Amino acid sequence: MNDADAAAQQIVKTFEHQIAGIGRVQDIPVVSVAKEAIPTIAHYIHSMAAFRGTLSLQWAVDLRPMAARSQIYYLFSLAGHGAWLILLTELPDGDRLFPSITPRIHAAKWYEREIRDLFGLIPEGHPDLRRLVRHEHWPKGTHPLKKDFAWDHVMGRQQGEYHFRRIEGEGVFEVPVGPIHAGIIEPGHFRFSVAGEPIMQLELRHFWKHRGVEKLFENRTLADGVSLAEKVSGDTSFGHSLVYCEAVERLMGMTVPPRARYLRTLFLELERIHNHIGDVGAICNDAAYALALAHGGRIKERVMQLNDRLTGSRFLRGVNVVGGSAIDLSPEQIDEVVREMDAIDKDFGELSAIVFGNASLTDRLESTGTLSEQIAWDHGVMGVVGRASNIDRDVRRDRPFAAYLDLTFRVPVYTYGDVRARVRVRIEEVQESIHLIRQVRERFPAGDVRAPIPAPPEAGRWALSAVEGWRGEILYYLMAGENGAIHRCKVRDPSFVNWPAIQFAVLGNIIPDFPLINKSFNLSYAGTDL
Amino acid sequence: MFRIIKKSLKTGVVTGRYPQPTAPVPHMTDETKAKAAPFGKSLTIREVDTGSCNACEMEMNALANPVYDVERFGVHIAASPRHADALVVTGPVTANMERALKDVYQSTPDPKLVIALGDCAIDCGAFKGSYAVTGPVDRHIPVDVKIPGCPPRPAEILAALRALMAKTR
Ligand code: SF4
Repeated sequence: MNDADAAAQQIVKTFEHQIAGIGRVQDIPVVSVAKEAIPTIAHYIHSMAAFRGTLSLQWAVDLRPMAARSQIYYLFSLAGHGAWLILLTELPDGDRLFPSITPRIHAAKWYEREIRDLFGLIPEGHPDLRRLVRHEHWPKGTHPLKKDFAWDHVMGRQQGEYHFRRIEGEGVFEVPVGPIHAGIIEPGHFRFSVAGEPIMQLELRHFWKHRGVEKLFENRTLADGVSLAEKVSGDTSFGHSLVYCEAVERLMGMTVPPRARYLRTLFLELERIHNHIGDVGAICNDAAYALALAHGGRIKERVMQLNDRLTGSRFLRGVNVVGGSAIDLSPEQIDEVVREMDAIDKDFGELSAIVFGNASLTDRLESTGTLSEQIAWDHGVMGVVGRASNIDRDVRRDRPFAAYLDLTFRVPVYTYGDVRARVRVRIEEVQESIHLIRQVRERFPAGDVRAPIPAPPEAGRWALSAVEGWRGEILYYLMAGENGAIHRCKVRDPSFVNWPAIQFAVLGNIIPDFPLINKSFNLSYAGTDL
Repeated sequence: MFRIIKKSLKTGVVTGRYPQPTAPVPHMTDETKAKAAPFGKSLTIREVDTGSCNACEMEMNALANPVYDVERFGVHIAASPRHADALVVTGPVTANMERALKDVYQSTPDPKLVIALGDCAIDCGAFKGSYAVTGPVDRHIPVDVKIPGCPPRPAEILAALRALMAKTR
């Protein structure tokens, strides 16, 4: 019996009369409850010292045509690393209301608005029922993830206005920025309220890039969804395709050959390395230290050219396939990778020494954009940003996938939560990644890299998987449809969770520091907007 | 200071250290070349993302790194469409970005060029037909140059830009 089972038992004991049933999928206990009981039980899991459950994901499924009901799932990650617990409630067809847990669990705020927009289910008691994914011009009643909504539906346009929260008073100004920004970056809207220099409030307006990814998954079969997963957030092509493949493999009960698991580890770390190195340079550049950008960009390019030589793709696309890896590496190629890593270790180490040897630069990074541990925890913040604010979570260690169970590495954690801490976490993670790649070479098993795909799973079965991408924990939920089709695919990039936190990290800072703070978070817009 | 100089000397010049592109350079019509002619040897670009997966952006950003150093060919990235000669558009044009794309096009002074970068911008790629997508780019604004790829490598983008800027005989 693991922690999660013990927790589930305790919940059943405490809330005996409200529990409709208890099941188990993979190693996850699934507690079904009546919808009225959700807020109390969720709050219990979230606040009890023994559980300290973080809401990691909340999502809905429209079960039609299999059954005329909708489901809402709440995934909690329990304290003490790794154990997962799911709360599940069902709404019969025609019942559109469910109680909001946002007043007590802040991490639910965007999930519930998302469910409302995409499924038309209304979180009763949610303090902010403005539209999130649907921009104002979407006609009323457009809920694309409902099963009776066609994937290629042509939307009309209506008039409408998004109401930003306003601060009014003498000397208070609003500064709107975006959706189109000054650099080569993705579109998003930021609305600042300032009095003098310091930011009093920042409000985000995202989802400009909503492409209907989750609906498009429902057009694919389990085996060919990989190439779409690669396009959810291009900078994390490998991370996303890996979680997707792992979810399908769980669903089909497949065992991935050991060699493929090691290859996946190697490529995932390469993706982390090139992104982190590029970020360190770019963050320094936003504090006007262009030298670091030049070196960072150069080293990043070196890794991306290596990716290209190994796999034919600078973004490691086309490598992951359901059941393993589409490519294998020869011993010479592995040696080449390790040689490059040794060189980069030294090269990047010298760059880090230059960065931290520069007092005027570190002065800009220190105490800028501080995200406190409390706020980070309340909002379920994770990944690099979380670890810089003392949230000690890393899926590679907590729920090992690919080959991580066999390898040793350290998870750097800082408590300050400022830009400097986020740079520090990245630098140390690059070192750990290089260390991991060396271990991959030493222990690289022989054998096949691809397992055959078995018969499709029964419709209605589902699986959940998590991978620590370079930004943080990526989650995929997959429910099988008839004959190997996808009934539902929920995609959760860590950016979706970390974006709201930036609204707190900027408070009291000045607008010219916003690009610096934003870069130190470096979140994906595409991965959030889907 | 000493550390920085040492690092620079040790690193040396990295510009141009990339494999030559193997993909063919996109075809440019005489009309396009004539449109590009007034800009001569300098082209100022504004990049607009209308729903890409962000890999196309990453490759555009890579153009500015010391390895490709696009500025040595007179290509400059502007912060505002009002300063741009050419728009580089990535992504399939989402319903939510359609207005912004048209606004950007209006704000860019004439004469101007539009470059559709990546398969998504050219024909919506994997997102074709989705309820949330109204593209491709040339459904909303006229497109002069199409650079295919998912994403095109920086060397390929560079080759296309240079072909666009090359003098017609
Ligand atoms: S063309 Fe490919 S790389 Fe470019 S935005 Fe589309 S999916 Fe991403």
